[in-house]
Amino acid sequence: MVAVTGARVLRTAVREARRGLSGAGVLLVGHQAGEAMVPVLVGVVIDRAVDGGGVESLLFWLAVLAVDFAVLSLSYRYGARAAAIASVRTDQRLRLRIADRVLDPRGGAEAGRLPGVLAGIAVADAQRVGALGFALPVALSAVAALVVAAVALLNISVPLGLLILLGTPPLLFVVHLLGKPLERRSGPEQERAARAAGVAADLVTGVRVLKGIGAERAAVARYRLTSRDALGATLRATGAQAWYSGTVLALNGLFLALVALVGGRLAADGALSVGQLVSAVGLAQFLIGPLEVFGWVNGRLAQARASAARIAEVLSAPPAVDGEGEVTPAGGAVTVRGLRHGALRDGLDLDVAAGAFVGVVATADEAVVLLDCLGREIDPEEGTVEVDGVGLEACAPAAARRAVLVAGHDALLFTGSVHDNVLAAAPVGTDPAPAMRAAQADEVVAGLPAGASTEVGDRGTALSGGQRQRVALARAVAADPAVLVLHDPTTAVDAVTEARIADGLRAARRGRTTVVVTASPALLAVADRVVLVEAGRVRADGTHADLLRDDARYRKLVLG
Amino acid sequence: MSEEKGRSLLPVASGAEIRTALAGLVRPFRLRAVAALAALVAGAAVSLVTAPLLGRIVDLVADGRGPDAVTTPVLLLVVVAIAQGLLAVLGVALVARVGENMLADLRERFVERALGLPLQRIESAGAGDLTSRASEDVALVGEAVREAVPDFARAALTIALTLVGLAVLDWRFTVAALLAVPVQVLTARWYLRRSSPMYALQRRYAGAQQQQLLDTVGGVRTVRALGLADDHARRVRSRTEDVVTTERRVVRLQTGFFGRLNVAEFIGVAGVLTAGFLLVRSGTASIGTASAAALYFINLFNPINQVLFLLDTAQSAAASLGRIVGVVNLPPAQAVAEPRTASDGSVRVKGLGHAYVAGHDVLDGVDLDVDPGTRVALVGASGAGKTTLATLVAGVHSPVRGAIEIGGVPLESHDPERLRTSVALVTQEVHVFAGPLADDLRLARADATDAELRAALDAVGATGWVDALPDGLATEVGSGGHTLTVVQAQHLALARLVLADPLVAVLDEATAEAGSAGARSLEDAAERALAGRTGLLVAHRLTQAAGADLVVVLEAGRVVEQGTHDELLAARGRYHGLWAAWTDSR
Repeated sequence: MVAVTGARVLRTAVREARRGLSGAGVLLVGHQAGEAMVPVLVGVVIDRAVDGGGVESLLFWLAVLAVDFAVLSLSYRYGARAAAIASVRTDQRLRLRIADRVLDPRGGAEAGRLPGVLAGIAVADAQRVGALGFALPVALSAVAALVVAAVALLNISVPLGLLILLGTPPLLFVVHLLGKPLERRSGPEQERAARAAGVAADLVTGVRVLKGIGAERAAVARYRLTSRDALGATLRATGAQAWYSGTVLALNGLFLALVALVGGRLAADGALSVGQLVSAVGLAQFLIGPLEVFGWVNGRLAQARASAARIAEVLSAPPAVDGEGEVTPAGGAVTVRGLRHGALRDGLDLDVAAGAFVGVVATADEAVVLLDCLGREIDPEEGTVEVDGVGLEACAPAAARRAVLVAGHDALLFTGSVHDNVLAAAPVGTDPAPAMRAAQADEVVAGLPAGASTEVGDRGTALSGGQRQRVALARAVAADPAVLVLHDPTTAVDAVTEARIADGLRAARRGRTTVVVTASPALLAVADRVVLVEAGRVRADGTHADLLRDDARYRKLVLG
Repeated sequence: MSEEKGRSLLPVASGAEIRTALAGLVRPFRLRAVAALAALVAGAAVSLVTAPLLGRIVDLVADGRGPDAVTTPVLLLVVVAIAQGLLAVLGVALVARVGENMLADLRERFVERALGLPLQRIESAGAGDLTSRASEDVALVGEAVREAVPDFARAALTIALTLVGLAVLDWRFTVAALLAVPVQVLTARWYLRRSSPMYALQRRYAGAQQQQLLDTVGGVRTVRALGLADDHARRVRSRTEDVVTTERRVVRLQTGFFGRLNVAEFIGVAGVLTAGFLLVRSGTASIGTASAAALYFINLFNPINQVLFLLDTAQSAAASLGRIVGVVNLPPAQAVAEPRTASDGSVRVKGLGHAYVAGHDVLDGVDLDVDPGTRVALVGASGAGKTTLATLVAGVHSPVRGAIEIGGVPLESHDPERLRTSVALVTQEVHVFAGPLADDLRLARADATDAELRAALDAVGATGWVDALPDGLATEVGSGGHTLTVVQAQHLALARLVLADPLVAVLDEATAEAGSAGARSLEDAAERALAGRTGLLVAHRLTQAAGADLVVVLEAGRVVEQGTHDELLAARGRYHGLWAAWTDSR
């Protein structure tokens, strides 16, 4: 993967959105200029019309005011739309780029990151960078507003204009300083307040568990404590918040009084007209808006920089495995030689003849390493895995996985119907029925409200664990790979169904290479051969019946 | 699995019921509520003095009174600024105090009632109904109380009092300002008709996008193994495209809303200026009064936008409130007339039959006689009725036919508050409660000491991994904390069972996620958790049945074989067939 930096993510994001951004910028500048002109024009109306002018002049200036409103309204409408679209498109581009990186067959992006964290980067961080699409044009328009207001004010009166222009930034700075400790304090306290809602949801989600052991009362008592704690925290936070808003209000009022004092004296001296005084007061209040925008944009930029750095880290994560070659297995004979990695410490040799059905009994840690190497999630430190004489580590990861399908026991289904899931990886035109029968998924479907068209819900949660496991197994069988490696495919299935699955699986995979890593006697019983792996090497090799009879250790492992 | 047809959602409170509930919630705080309102009104009233004071300055200047004349109104402006600030402090703090107290009471009542609902009622509504009320609705009302209510109240008061202020200047200014109202009313109606469904759609698509990313990222190994990367890339693209499309529509709605309000703003300003023009010309008002009126109206732009924009939040908060109050108002469970307590851990089942959907029996004619302290294994294919029998014995559902006695007392005569000391249930639903691990365990026994917690963990063989956690028993687990594996979560469930210490324990806890090594360790843990009590367990591996005192084989809702492992092997029936398949001695 190309090394990508946060700065580069930001630059690319802005470059790709530049057309939308500049359009939005121009329009929002128009909007702010229009807003700045409203108090100016109101002052003009007072001077030219209300203060002894004629009807024509009233009508004329009202018409000018109408034009100003039309300009500000329309430019806001189209400017805000353009900015929002630039923002959401940037957001989407980043999200898709992250998804593409995660889905890359070479893997590696998810290393060391929980799924929730990675999904969070794809959603929240992409959104924060995308938000620049709105923040940048708004910042531009605030600059414009500042310029228009400054020109208008200086035009009215140089000393009054300077007072307002130079006085407002310190005022805002004081407000910012006042707000700082509040921000620091309110963060954790708001978190505690939000927790009350979170704990309520958590308890209600676990209601069956609570009811199963009669813990409702204890839970309610517990919740009351959380809720009161949250209440205390919120009230402390709002107390500080109240002082802050009160102070800000008072400061603004005091500044206005100062402007009125200076403006009033200047007007009394005849340096400006009454209408101009009204305009200046209006502009002083207007100016607070654009100046606040700078603080806001600054915060957004800091957030976007941090988010861009996290995104860059995902995009430049090194691949877990690599390779270019192809493999088109004929019979599907698997040869493992000297495999050494992690828990497999001793150089494992394993041969599975083309078309054989082999059971493997191993400790949990060893099983995981073996499955990772067979599925090319990792490349072993030492040793090789070959299919029909072709070394998998030289193949393109996707090609290796087409030849050898490793189906984990976690039975993860994806949103869609049962039917969609079963056929997800099957060759086009596959009839799902035989695979469903083999995995006893036809039984599952028979009990579902809409049969095979039943939606399985997010991650299959509409089905029970045992139902999910059978649908996932049917999916693996329907994919019909040259080599199928199954890991504990029946842990959530009852013994009766498990026995039927063992027979069905055996029949469905006749003539195709199948490796089942499991300790389930029902599955091991139908295997041609069972291999017991211990301490990194093959300790026993034979049929299930023979091993049960001859090997006490094996008997303890599978029947114990 | 039982399929549920004809869902009956939990009730939603009507407007009148919501008002009654709110009145009940505010009653303990009514004095403070009145004080809060008074502070807000006073604050808004004081702020209105600003414009006339500025108008007064204009008049003084127009009358040519000289620079020093402006000092008095400026000093008054200073007083106004300070008074306004102090009243805001008081108002904001009091409103928060009242609102947050009411909110805390409401959410506590909700949780109490929600957890008290019979499981049957929760299930018939669909599990999502209650959870979405607990998560989304409680959070939404909380946010509204915290963010929307204070702003809304202040803005609304400012508007109302500004209109009064205009009338004090001259009633004709108010009339002129009200010219904008028809446009505002139409705009608000136009917006409200569209906003709720639009924001709901926006939330739904955002949720679907998040879910898809979690699906893809969380399942990336499966995606890679099955070569589904292109399919998932397409899914993600289509979800993000939905988000973009709704975002586009939302921004159109919002800009349309503000655009319409701009029209109202112009009408109002033009009206007030024209009124000023006419009044000054006829000598009824001074130029300062006209200026004050214009300033009043310009200062109304923001509060009006705020109030109308927040109407949408108010609308959805009211809907959420209805869904919360609907649950709070549900009648509490009926007490049993003469509650009795189980004398021992015996279980007697007679002629038990059950159907989730009338006419579709899932269980029929089941008899069972279990002595205290014995271990019963239920064996059978999926759909044979194992889980149904387990939940009926645990009293989760009421059977359609037949009787169940625990410790010589019919289930329905048990005190509902104390039923779980007689019979408890651990299901395959794993949930780790957010918070310190010790707190999770203490849900089962609130007064347990740390030593007792350790003993319970030790009993299920969980001490090893608990000690390996960063903070041991104090480690934060569950959502937002340390993530536990499925096996660890089931260990916790069993440790809770040990702490709850019921006479009879019903276990139905298969997990696909555990893998065979994990499943084995859980079986051992379950075995130990059942020590000293009657155990009814849904067996997933025959080794569990082999160790039980009584094996019950179910088929299509009926008991087809019953006896000890050896008896059933000797009978050479169905159970024998299964066992033979395991040991390959067919």
